[in-house]
Amino acid sequence: MSRYHAALRAVFAAATATALIAACSAPGKKDDTSGGTNAGPIKIALVDAQSGQLSSLGAWELKGAKLAVTEWNQAGGINGRQIQLDVFDDQGDPTVGTNVARKIASEGYLAMIGTAESAVTIAMAPTLKQAEIPNITSGQSPGLVAVKSPFLFLNGPTSTTYDETLAKYVVDTKGIKSIAMITNNGSYGKGEHDAFTKSLKSRNVTPVADQVVTTDQKDFSAVLTTIRQKAPQLIFLGAEEVESGLIVKQARDLGITVPFAGGAPQGTPVFANTAGPAAIENTIVSSPYLSNDVSDASKKFAAAYKAAYNEDAELHGAKAYDGAQILLTALKTSNVAKGKALADAIRSTKREGLLGNFAYDDTGVGIFATSIGVITSGKLVPANS
Amino acid sequence: MQVFFQTFIGGLSLGAVYALVALGFSLVYRTMGLVNFAHGNVVMLGAYLASTFYLTAKLPFAVAMLVAIVSTGIVGVIIERVLRPLENKDFDLMLIGTIGFGIVLEALAIVIWGATGRAVPSPVPAAPLDLFGIRVRTYNLVVLAIAAVATLLLVLFLQRTKRGAAMQAVAMDHEAATAVGIHVGRSNAIAFVIGAGLAALAGGLVGPLLYVNPSMGGSLGIKGFAGAVLGGFGSIPGAIVGGLAIGVLDSFAAGHFQGYSELVTFVVFTIIIVVRPTGIFGERTVNRA
Repeated sequence: MSRYHAALRAVFAAATATALIAACSAPGKKDDTSGGTNAGPIKIALVDAQSGQLSSLGAWELKGAKLAVTEWNQAGGINGRQIQLDVFDDQGDPTVGTNVARKIASEGYLAMIGTAESAVTIAMAPTLKQAEIPNITSGQSPGLVAVKSPFLFLNGPTSTTYDETLAKYVVDTKGIKSIAMITNNGSYGKGEHDAFTKSLKSRNVTPVADQVVTTDQKDFSAVLTTIRQKAPQLIFLGAEEVESGLIVKQARDLGITVPFAGGAPQGTPVFANTAGPAAIENTIVSSPYLSNDVSDASKKFAAAYKAAYNEDAELHGAKAYDGAQILLTALKTSNVAKGKALADAIRSTKREGLLGNFAYDDTGVGIFATSIGVITSGKLVPANS
Repeated sequence: MQVFFQTFIGGLSLGAVYALVALGFSLVYRTMGLVNFAHGNVVMLGAYLASTFYLTAKLPFAVAMLVAIVSTGIVGVIIERVLRPLENKDFDLMLIGTIGFGIVLEALAIVIWGATGRAVPSPVPAAPLDLFGIRVRTYNLVVLAIAAVATLLLVLFLQRTKRGAAMQAVAMDHEAATAVGIHVGRSNAIAFVIGAGLAALAGGLVGPLLYVNPSMGGSLGIKGFAGAVLGGFGSIPGAIVGGLAIGVLDSFAAGHFQGYSELVTFVVFTIIIVVRPTGIFGERTVNRA
């Protein structure tokens, strides 16, 4: 018996130790050349999930941001200084994120790009605010605005914008009133749930079903069968790429034929591959970046992305690219300032970006519009309203 | 009523996968008294190998599964071989060793296949069957059938073959087994190989149901482990019943408690374990602790 207990204790000790080691060992260079001085490279930290369930987001972000940095470096850097982009893995975990925040604060990074997870960014915000390190995040939760940090900026619209545009199209344009909702209880899903419910409420529409799932759920038979019995005309999805894909796949198997609607995750290839090409047909997507063909800038970006990584560009890479461009432009206009001066420079940066025209307000949001696309023959095409 | 049966069917097919994972946990535990914490990651490795042989090497699904089971079995041999010097010397280190192997496997998968993961299309493209309004995916029936056959083969091996009987003997008393000339190390190695093979089977089968990524071992491992404990850790029928029970419990909790389903599943699990610490089929023969 005692051997067993000792063993169990050892297991827990080991588990705690691994967690600690994992938390402390976020990768990143440890050289002490401070970015604040006027010599050496300009140090920027990119913090994103490079492992774990949300690592696809992290991988896209890294590719987009790296593309922007490479372009600037090839053009000679800023004031003759090269830009050094160091990658930190937050594992999509707020606890790991706060550790990373302290690390970047102590190692003299001028600014941070990331993360793609609102919960992680919100956890990191107080540390970054105290250290006066500007942060351009890819999160979209209204909770980011609620943090009220003058050092926190979004590289895209908030959930409120995504869902208001979606509700406007679905209810006002299409006249669909019978809507079911499935959202997860993570920070993204919760934000989507609240924003879409609010937009529906302002149009006097009550969802026929409002089902909540966990972020780790694998079987959706119960919630989907409940929804099937309500026979809605449309199902709103507020969950990340893989989970959304699984929900749509299982819904089709259960004989649900009505279209789904959602935000950024539903426009990604991961969503399409998980659900299968036939299942996602007619999905309505609210996104600030519908395809690589919308403008000359996006075509140029998509070509450069394809050349660098041999894969097609998508929204998250484009967002990170825009965010990185804004940061680098602000560094240039402010003569490589740091802290509050850099944050002010970011706030006053205007950019005709891939996602639209950025003009930051006091809340740190720079873009307030999305477009509606419909998946037709496997491709996301602008809706003809 | 329709919701009830549909939920049950949905839970059952994932439960079959949890049951296979639980079998691997239980088999290694009953033979060695060791909880193999790398087991979930071995499932992930099996899922990746099966999907690679199926999608990249374009082998038929059944062949891809067989190749994946064999190659994952070899990984099982390697894990056992590395841990063998610790057997009966330092049990704690052996447990920690399995945790270490789990981390190594996950990192290895990220290095080889990237962190993003991949979707596996269903190898059985037929439309779901419709039974009185209850939809049953044909692939789920395949999963249930394969899980049943695998269990049957395992039970036959343990009860009808000399090697299997030797493993049973080691499970009961490894010192006495050594005394009558049974090679305990070899017995352990076979347990690890079969455990890893079952993990690959579970991983390969779950690929088309879910999404293959390096961190998938975490939740499958936890659910499979819970299934094994619920059924009675070390018991073969217990692992099957426990795994299915966890799957079904999970599905119903999801329907009734929505966002709190995970919490409810494990609270119910805890209550059952408190009331009946040996699980449903607590075996007296297996008492290695």
